[in-house]
Amino acid sequence: MVTYTDNNYRNLTNRIIRQYGGIPVGTRIYTYFSFLYSFCLRPLVGDKYGLRGINFDTPPDFTRRLKRDDLRHYIDSNGRIYASRMASFIIKTGMVEDVRNRIAKYCDVVFVDEVQDFAGYDFSLLLDLCAGNTDAVFVGDFFQHTYDTSRDGNVNKGLHDDYDKYKKSFEDRGFEIDETTLRKSYRCSQTTCEFVSDELDIDIDSHHENKSLLEFVDNEGWAEAIFHQPHTVKLFYRLHRSYDCLSDNWGASKGVDDYDSVCVVLNMKTEKLLRNGQLEKLPPMTRNKLYVACTRARSELFLVPERYFKKFKR
Amino acid sequence: MAKVITKVKLRNFKRFQEFELHLQPERNLLLGDNESGKSSILQAIDLVLAGSRSKVETLGIESLFNVDAVLEFLAGAREYGNLPELKVELYLNEQHNPDLNGNNNLDGTMCDGLALICSPMEEYSEEIAAILKDEDVSFPFEYYSIKFRTFAGEPYGGPRKYLRHLLLDSTQINNEYATREYVKSVYRTNSEDGERHKHQNEYRKHKAKFRDAVLSDVNAKLDTYQFSIATSKKSNLESDLTITEDDISIDNKGRGKQCFIKTEFALQKKKSTHPLDVLLLEEPENHLSHTSMKRLVTTIAHAEEQQMVVTTHNSLISTRLDLRNAVLLNSTSTVSAALSDLSPETADFFMKAPDNNVLEFVLSGRVILVEGDAEYILMQALFKQLVGTEIDTTDIHVISVGGTSFKRYLEVARLLGVRTAVLRDNDGDFEKNCQKAFESYLSDSVRVFSETDNDIRTFEISIYQNNAALCDEMFSGGRIRLPPQEYMLSNKTTVALRLLEEKAENLVVPGYIGEAITWINE
Repeated sequence: MVTYTDNNYRNLTNRIIRQYGGIPVGTRIYTYFSFLYSFCLRPLVGDKYGLRGINFDTPPDFTRRLKRDDLRHYIDSNGRIYASRMASFIIKTGMVEDVRNRIAKYCDVVFVDEVQDFAGYDFSLLLDLCAGNTDAVFVGDFFQHTYDTSRDGNVNKGLHDDYDKYKKSFEDRGFEIDETTLRKSYRCSQTTCEFVSDELDIDIDSHHENKSLLEFVDNEGWAEAIFHQPHTVKLFYRLHRSYDCLSDNWGASKGVDDYDSVCVVLNMKTEKLLRNGQLEKLPPMTRNKLYVACTRARSELFLVPERYFKKFKR
Repeated sequence: MAKVITKVKLRNFKRFQEFELHLQPERNLLLGDNESGKSSILQAIDLVLAGSRSKVETLGIESLFNVDAVLEFLAGAREYGNLPELKVELYLNEQHNPDLNGNNNLDGTMCDGLALICSPMEEYSEEIAAILKDEDVSFPFEYYSIKFRTFAGEPYGGPRKYLRHLLLDSTQINNEYATREYVKSVYRTNSEDGERHKHQNEYRKHKAKFRDAVLSDVNAKLDTYQFSIATSKKSNLESDLTITEDDISIDNKGRGKQCFIKTEFALQKKKSTHPLDVLLLEEPENHLSHTSMKRLVTTIAHAEEQQMVVTTHNSLISTRLDLRNAVLLNSTSTVSAALSDLSPETADFFMKAPDNNVLEFVLSGRVILVEGDAEYILMQALFKQLVGTEIDTTDIHVISVGGTSFKRYLEVARLLGVRTAVLRDNDGDFEKNCQKAFESYLSDSVRVFSETDNDIRTFEISIYQNNAALCDEMFSGGRIRLPPQEYMLSNKTTVALRLLEEKAENLVVPGYIGEAITWINE
């Protein structure tokens, strides 16, 4: 099982342990980059290129001007390979076939979570490795695409611009698209789902029929009370660390599954669009992040204008 | 499916600069002289499987590093990049585990395996380079790191074991540490992880109970400071465990008995879910009487569950465990020779034949094979007569074999390239017995020597013919009624002994024996 964020990795691991009383023999859970490094690259060419780990920094500018067959484009002077270039490294050094064989040898099924975040060479590699190889199941939510695994050059640029085209890029490689099995949310209530469908124009339904509390808070006193509620997580568009409370950023909360009570904090622009019923006009990435934030709520969801929290800003 | 080591590869480990050894899935015999590196190979396997850095540190990298590699480096240009590395690699059969699989090994082949690597720490490259510029530099062992990793490049160590193994070193039978390590590993292979934690926990509780119930008398008389039972890394369940037979701890048994029990105990069929995968036996013949050894060998021969690597310089052990499983290590070279190509008949012959000298043969550089006791007895004298030195001071061995088993030995000689001179009686038909019979065995290193005259059928006749006057004088008269030559033929050993004692210096060496000695001594 391959997933992208550390949050997801922990979630997935915990869920599997809860379900099976431990990690079943033969099951491996990897974060995407550890999969690329520990499962694919290191066993094949660890000694050959003297690999000594992953460098998660953005590669320095000079490396972009190097030829693509220059090792320094991919590997830093300490032998660490740039995370964002592992996929292109595998493709450019002709290792795809070897990795495909390795996957076929050890895996009956490959599960990939949050597949909507695969971009650039990572997207190409994912399809190259799985198409026509071992069974593979990719799970994702196109509208939760809030960042890219890596962006390097123009490969697969515009992949996420259009949902239909996006689906087609899988179909072209022989994948079936299943939009029904996971259409309904297990986490979110009917109320939350309706809000998302109506206001953000993202089609989502719930497995639950119960209603829940969803409130646009337009009262300073109430807003302050929520800010101080320890069990309510405050989700900010960005810079959540400026506030001294249980908090996170919209996008980063993806994959987190244990918030009952969520307060989504709206900046001026978003607040205005909400009041006008035009949230769907947000730039796609922002809309997706807001969507992620709203759908964290298991029960209560508060929408609070950021201006009420100004005084708490550090 | 059994987990087995298919190959061991060493670089700069002890006496081996480059060495490769293929292992059989079941039994493996490492034969060799002292200093041939048998024990080093077991140690190398043990270190990699144990995955313990402290074990390597205790031994010291310096003591494990090949001396020649160090000297060569120091004598050379002393570049940082040329610093030698120590590597021990174990190639495994298919383990169905991606963490073990990769091509990070000396062969560069895709397979499962484990490795121990001692190499200079790159983060200190500048310091090392500076040290190396020093005139009277000593080798920078202190800057070497000890790493355990799989062929996938995955580091490992400590309790995460890929193969379960046990090293039984009977040369260290009275060593307290070795005994404790042995008991510990046997305990571990016979118990489950959860079970062990429970045992340890219960043991601690019992100590507390003892303190409360028994020591309370003394403690009642004391105030602040009280007596208690120690529980620590040095005193815990595993450190206090021992193995008993009829309530007697094995520590209190004789060395031979200890060896026996330990081996047998390690070999017994386990009900445990984690049987041993690899058993390493160092010279099991130590401290054992001939009878115990025979029993032990039977036990070893019938153990099927695990891969075994046995070092020995005992003929009985090596033949009974099937010579085809044997690998020969030579103290003068670092090349191993396998006997796996030996024909089943020959292996079977040595397994069933009476106790024999095959190991002596295998370990010799040069051999004279003779047909009987008389030749064997007189060979020393004839050799000295001709060469002037005692045969025992050379690396030439004289081995007496029964008439029909020549070919068995020659098959071994051919495989191992042992230079062998066969002294054969023509028994009245030189062409048949000495030429045709050996045709297919002759080579640059194997030659047959005999009388060509069919009338000189045997060794005794040849001795008589060459020393007629001397023999007539010694073997006639008194109670001897037969003519001298007849007497010699019917009292071979007695005659040989008397000749050796009384006339060793006057004997004329028969021509074919002279040729043989000259050839073997070339």
